[in-house]
Amino acid sequence: MASAVSNLASFEYLEKLPGITFRKLYLEPSTALAIFRRMLPHLAKAFVMALLYMDKPFLLTDLDQWVQSNAKRQRDEALSTLSRLHIVTISAPSRQEPQVVSLTDAFRVSLRLALTGGGNHQSFGVPSSDAKSAGIELEFLDEYGRTQWEGILHYVVSTGRSGAQPTAAVQQLLEAGNLVSRGRRSTEITQAGFSFLLQEVNAQVWTLLLLWLHHAKELGMDHVEILSFFFMLGSLELGKAYSIKTLKPTQKSMLENLVDFGLVYIPPSVKDQFFPTRLATTLTSDASALRSITAGFESALSTGSGTAGFIIIETNYRLYAYTDSPLQIAVLALFTKLTTRYPNMVTGRVTRESVYRAVSSGISSDQIITYLSTHAHPELLKASAAKGGGPVLPPTVVDQIRLWQIENERMKTTYGFLFKDFESTDEYKKLLKYADEIGVLTWASKTEEKFFVSKVEQLKDYMKSLKAK
Amino acid sequence: MDRVDGTDHYEGDVQGPGPSLLVIVLDTNPHAWTLLHPTLPLSKAIANILVFINAHLASHNANQVAVVASHCHRAVWLYPRPQAANSVDVEMKDASHPSLNDANKYRPFALIEDSLLTSLRELVATTTEPDISTTNTSQMAGALTLALAYINKVNVAYLDENTSPSKESTTSVDTTTNVTGLQSRILVISVSGDLAHQYIPIMNTTFAAQRLRIPIDILKLAGDTVFLQQASDTTKGIYMQLSNPQGLLQYLMMAFLPDNTSRKSLVAPTQEVVDFRAACFCHRRVVDVGFVCSICLSIFCTPPEGAVCMTCSTHLTLGDYGAKPAVVPRRKKKKRKLNGGVDTPSPQGTPVPGK
Amino acid sequence: MSRIRSLVRPRGINRHSDTVHHIMSSSDEDYVADDSDDDRNAQTATGTHGTRSTGPVRDATNGRGVRGGDGKEKGKKQAAWEKINRSWDIVIEGADGSINSAVDGLIRQNKRKRLLRDTTPLQRGIIRHLILIIDLSFAMVEKDLRPTRYILTLRTATEFVTEYFEQNPISQLGIIGMRDGIAIRISDISGNPTEHIERLRALGDQQGQGNPSLQNALEMSRAALFHAPSHGTREVLIIYGALLSSDPGDIHDTIESLITDRIRVSIVGLAAQVAICAELCEKTNAGDKNNYHVALDEEHFKALVMATTTPPVTQTKQQSQSSLLQMGFPSRTLGVGKTMSFCACHSKLSRGGYLCSRCDSKVCSLPAECPACGLTLILSTHLARSYHHLFPLKNWVEVPWSAASVSKECYSCLAPFPPMSSAPSQSSNKAKTSRENGEKDKLDSENIAANDSERYACEVCNNHFCIDCDVFAHTISHNCPGCQSDTRGLIENDSVDRNRGHGTIVADVEMAG
Repeated sequence: MASAVSNLASFEYLEKLPGITFRKLYLEPSTALAIFRRMLPHLAKAFVMALLYMDKPFLLTDLDQWVQSNAKRQRDEALSTLSRLHIVTISAPSRQEPQVVSLTDAFRVSLRLALTGGGNHQSFGVPSSDAKSAGIELEFLDEYGRTQWEGILHYVVSTGRSGAQPTAAVQQLLEAGNLVSRGRRSTEITQAGFSFLLQEVNAQVWTLLLLWLHHAKELGMDHVEILSFFFMLGSLELGKAYSIKTLKPTQKSMLENLVDFGLVYIPPSVKDQFFPTRLATTLTSDASALRSITAGFESALSTGSGTAGFIIIETNYRLYAYTDSPLQIAVLALFTKLTTRYPNMVTGRVTRESVYRAVSSGISSDQIITYLSTHAHPELLKASAAKGGGPVLPPTVVDQIRLWQIENERMKTTYGFLFKDFESTDEYKKLLKYADEIGVLTWASKTEEKFFVSKVEQLKDYMKSLKAK
Repeated sequence: MDRVDGTDHYEGDVQGPGPSLLVIVLDTNPHAWTLLHPTLPLSKAIANILVFINAHLASHNANQVAVVASHCHRAVWLYPRPQAANSVDVEMKDASHPSLNDANKYRPFALIEDSLLTSLRELVATTTEPDISTTNTSQMAGALTLALAYINKVNVAYLDENTSPSKESTTSVDTTTNVTGLQSRILVISVSGDLAHQYIPIMNTTFAAQRLRIPIDILKLAGDTVFLQQASDTTKGIYMQLSNPQGLLQYLMMAFLPDNTSRKSLVAPTQEVVDFRAACFCHRRVVDVGFVCSICLSIFCTPPEGAVCMTCSTHLTLGDYGAKPAVVPRRKKKKRKLNGGVDTPSPQGTPVPGK
Repeated sequence: MSRIRSLVRPRGINRHSDTVHHIMSSSDEDYVADDSDDDRNAQTATGTHGTRSTGPVRDATNGRGVRGGDGKEKGKKQAAWEKINRSWDIVIEGADGSINSAVDGLIRQNKRKRLLRDTTPLQRGIIRHLILIIDLSFAMVEKDLRPTRYILTLRTATEFVTEYFEQNPISQLGIIGMRDGIAIRISDISGNPTEHIERLRALGDQQGQGNPSLQNALEMSRAALFHAPSHGTREVLIIYGALLSSDPGDIHDTIESLITDRIRVSIVGLAAQVAICAELCEKTNAGDKNNYHVALDEEHFKALVMATTTPPVTQTKQQSQSSLLQMGFPSRTLGVGKTMSFCACHSKLSRGGYLCSRCDSKVCSLPAECPACGLTLILSTHLARSYHHLFPLKNWVEVPWSAASVSKECYSCLAPFPPMSSAPSQSSNKAKTSRENGEKDKLDSENIAANDSERYACEVCNNHFCIDCDVFAHTISHNCPGCQSDTRGLIENDSVDRNRGHGTIVADVEMAG
C-alpha cells in the first residue's frame, strides 16, 4: 500500500532512473536497505525477504499460490513496483519454461550484507575515533537543524525575519527550483513553492535534496554517489560523531551544502568530524514512522514550526490551530479564512472561497487534505483510533474540499498511452483487466474499446505473453 | 471503475501499516540442543535468528524486537537486557566491542546482536549442573508470561505516546482499543517436548494472548507439544514443525517474517491436525479422554481416589461409567509407571465409515 | 388483578446507608483520577443526589408517606448521606504547587483498587446457567443515565454477554424482558453469544413501556431453569430500573419456590433501593446481602453488571449435586486433500471436523455428544479458560521505600522504577499522613506513602513489578511472571505446585450463613 504520503518525490524520481544507475546504487548496502525500507509497499517487503535467501528462482505460479486470492491487486502492485525499481527480475514469458521471479544480483548481495554485516563497503558511516567535541548534545543538534530549516521555509514564504536568511547558495537553489521567483524588490512564492510548504518536513527535505541533485549534475558531480550519500545519512545515529576523512571527494564537497540545509553539523573546533541532525537521520523513515518517533522529532520541530499535530477541524468546517508560529499561520492562511488570533491559537473556517483561492494558486485539494491530516491534533487521531482506525479528518470536510476543487477543475491531464484498435473484444477485456490490476489504468471506454494508461512497460510484457500463448 | 471518476470517498488515511513488535521466545533447553547438534548447532541457529531479527527491523523504521530465553527452570530476558546485568559493562562498551563501531554494519543491528550474544553467554555461564540434570523441559510458561507482560507495557506506552496522554483510558484493561496500536506478535522457537507440567500457566498465557489479539507463532525444531499447538491455534498464529532444521532461515524469512498486515494477503501455513488433548491434574499425563469434575472442571485421567476431587475436595458421584473399574487404589508411584503407555490409545481406531 | 407494589426506601435512612455511602466515596475518587477537573466533580456529585431523589415513582411514595422528609432531618443533625467525601479535600499539592504527583498517585491507587479482590480460593460453580432479566418498562425511558437507561442497559447487556461467555465458556445464558406487566422471552437458554447479542440489538429499535412484573419474569426464569442439570448453578440477574412491580399474585410465594429450586437472584437497580428486591436477593442467596446493588452512574453500573460474570461462590455442598463426567478431547482435522465424508451429527458432507477420541466418529462442531458412542466431546481449551478461577493469583503487596533498593526495574517488562534518590524524606512523609488523618484509616495512609516507590512485590517469588504488570498479571494473564520464570528453588517439588509456584490444594470453604 503506497499511501499518498510515502509516495514521495524521491520515489517518482528514482523510478525514472535507468537500470544501470540502480545497479550502481545497489552496490552500497545502506542504499539497498534504505530503498527496501522506504520505497516498497508492505507486501513487496514480504516478497523480497522471502526471496532473499532462496537459492533458486521462485516460480511465479508458486508466488501466486502464496498470495490470497483477494489480495491479487496488492500482489500486482508489489511486483510492478519491485520491477520498476529493478529489485526483482521476472523472466520473460515463454512456452518452454515457466515464469520465475528472482532478486537482481546487486540488490541481493547488498541487502544480505546489510542484514548480516561484513564486507568492506563502509556504507554505514565511519564513526570518528577522535574525542567527541564537548557540548554537542541532542538538544543542540535539534535546535541547530530546526533553525537552519526554518530559515529556509521563512525565506520561501517571504516572512523572512532578518538574520535568519539562508545562504546565497540555498537562495539560488530555491530560485532555480522555481520555488520562489525574484521580483524587483523581494522574492515571491510560486505555485510550486506553495505545494512545497504544504508537505511534511521529511518530504520538504527530499524535495530540496533532489533539486540540489539536479543542480549538482550540471556541475558534473556523480549523482549515484550523491544519492548513496543521502541514504547513508539516513542510516546514521543521531548524536554520534562521524569521520569526514573516509568520505569520497564528491561527498566531502557535498557536506558544505548539507550544513546550509541543517542536515549535518560540523563543529568549528574539530574539522574532520560531522554530526548528522535529525533531519538527516530520519531521511529514510517513512511517514507513519515519523509520527511514532515522537520523542525527539517533535521536540526538534514542534516548538516553532509545529510538526506535532495542532490542527482541529470540525464537521462544520471550523478550524482551530494551536500555534503561534507565523510560518504555520501563513501556511494555514493559504486555504483557510482565518478569523481570530489568540496568543496560542488561531481559528478560522475552511470555506468555498478560501479553497478556490488556494486551488487557483496551484494548491491541490489532496495537498490540503494531506497537510491537515499530517498536522491533525492528537485528539483527532485518538477519536479516529477509538472508532477503529477510520479517517482522521471528518469525511464530510474531506469530501467537500475535494468537491470544491473538482467544481473548478473539470479537466485533469495525465501523460500516458492510449490503447485502441484491438484485435478482439476478448483481448481488450484481458488487457483492460490487467491494466486495472496493476494500477496504471486512467480511463477506459467500453463502447469504443479504448483505454488509457499511465505506464506501459508491464502491459507490453503482458501483451507479449498473451501473444505467446 | 470507481477509481477513475474521482468522486470516490477519499479517506485521509496517512498511517499505512504501523510498526510492529516481535517478541522471540527462544527455547535454550540444553538437552534438546545437544540432540539437535548434528543437524543444527545452536550457534548456527542463533546466527539465522539474528538475520531474521535484522530483517524484521529492516522492514519498518519503528519496528521493535525483544528476545526471551526459555531455559531449564528459568526464563530470562536476552534483549533488552535487564539493567542489573547491564550496569557492569556500560562504560567500557564502546571500547570492548569493536563490532559496534564497524562501518560495515547498520548500527541498530550491531547493538542488538552484541547485547543478545552477551546475555546468551551469561545465561550459559550461570547454568549449573543440577539445573540441567533435574529437568528435560524448559520454562516456556514463564517466558511467554514475560513476553506478554512486555508487549502489554510497550503497547500501553505506545498508545500513551501516540494519543493524548491526558486520559487514563489506555490502561491495559480495555484491550479492545488496540486495533490501531502497535502490532505485536510472539514467535516461539521451541525444541523441547512435553510441557504437561506447565499446562495451566501455558493455557493462561494463551488466553491472555487471545484477549490481546497477539498471535503466537510456533516454530518447532524438535519434539512435539500439544499445548503450543493449541496456543497457536487459539491465537491464530502459525504452527510449523520443521522436517529439516537446516533450512531454518528460509522458513523464518518466508513464513514468520510477514507481520499481521501482510498475513492478511498471504496464505499462511496451516496445521493439518490440531491436537486438543489436555493434561490431567493428577499425573500430568496428556489424555484424550478424561474425567472432569463438574464443580471446578479439573481433569483426571482416572477417577480420583475415594471419588474426591483433588482440586476442590468435592465429593463426586461417579456416573455410570461401568466400564471403568479402575478405582482400586494402588500405590501412586507404581501406577504411573504401569499406566505409562496406555494413556494415548492408538490414533488409528475403528475406520470411519465413508473413508 | 394486579396490584402495584411500591415499597421505596430512600437511601441513607437505615442500614443500607453504610454500603451506599461507601460506594459513593470510592467513586468520588474515581473522578479525580479520570480528570482533575473540579467543576465536573462537583456537578456529578450533586447530580448523583439529584437524579436519585426524582424517580418516576415519587408521587406514589409520597402518598404512602414511607419516605423520610429531606428537610426535617437536615435541621437536626447531619444525616448519613450528607457526609460526603469531597475528593478535592484529599488532593495534596506537590512541592511545585501542582497536583500532578497527587493525581498520578490516585491513578495508581485506583488501578490497584480494581485489582485488590479476594483471592481466597472458594468453591465456585463454573458450569453456570444464568437468566438475564432486563427491565423494558416505562422506567427505562429516564435519561438520568446517559444516553438513556434503556440504551445504556442494552449496551451493557451486550457487553455482559460477551464477557460472560469469555469467563464461563461452557455455561448457558438466557434473556428475558419485562414490559407491559408481562415477561417476554428475548432469547432462549443457549451457549451461543452471537444469538443473544443479535436479539439484544433488535431490541434497540423499541422503547421501554408499561409496568414491569418481577413475579412474571421470575416465574418464567424458574421454568427456563427447570431443566438445568444439578451440577451447574442456577442464577438470575435482574437489571431493574423501576421502583415498582406489577404482579398477578404474591411475590413471596415465588421467592419461596425460587429457594426450593436453588435459584439465586442478584439485582442491579438503576434508581433506588427497593425493599422487595433486597428481600428477594437476601433470601435466595442464603442471607447474603451482597447481591443487590444500585448503580450510581454509568461506570458503576457497568462495573456492577460485569461483576456478575465471575462465577459465584458455591454456598453449600448440598446445593449442587457434583459428579464426575467423562469427556473426550478430540483433535481437529482439516482433511485437506482427503475425500469428503459425512459428519455423524448432521449427516452433512465436509472435509474437516473433530474425530471422537473413543470411536473416531466425525462431528462438525464442539461441544457435542458423540452420536455413536455417547461420549461428551469438548474442546479442552474451553475448559482451560476457567482454570484461572481455580488457582487465582495472589494479590501483590506494595513495596515500601525501605525495601525498594533491591530492584531498579520491573522484573517482567524491564521498565525502570523511580530511583532511590527520589524517596521522600521523613518530614514530607509526616506531612502527608497528618493531612490525611481524618477518616482515612491507617492502611490507607500507608498505601499512599508506599505507593511512591511504584514497586509491587509478589510475596512468593519476591520480585518487584510495576503497576501495569500488576494489573496485567491479575486481570489478563493470571500468571505471576516471577514465579513462572524461575523454578530453580522448586526443583524437587512436584504435583500441582508446579503449576502455579504457590498453588495450594484448594480448600472447600463454605460460606457462613
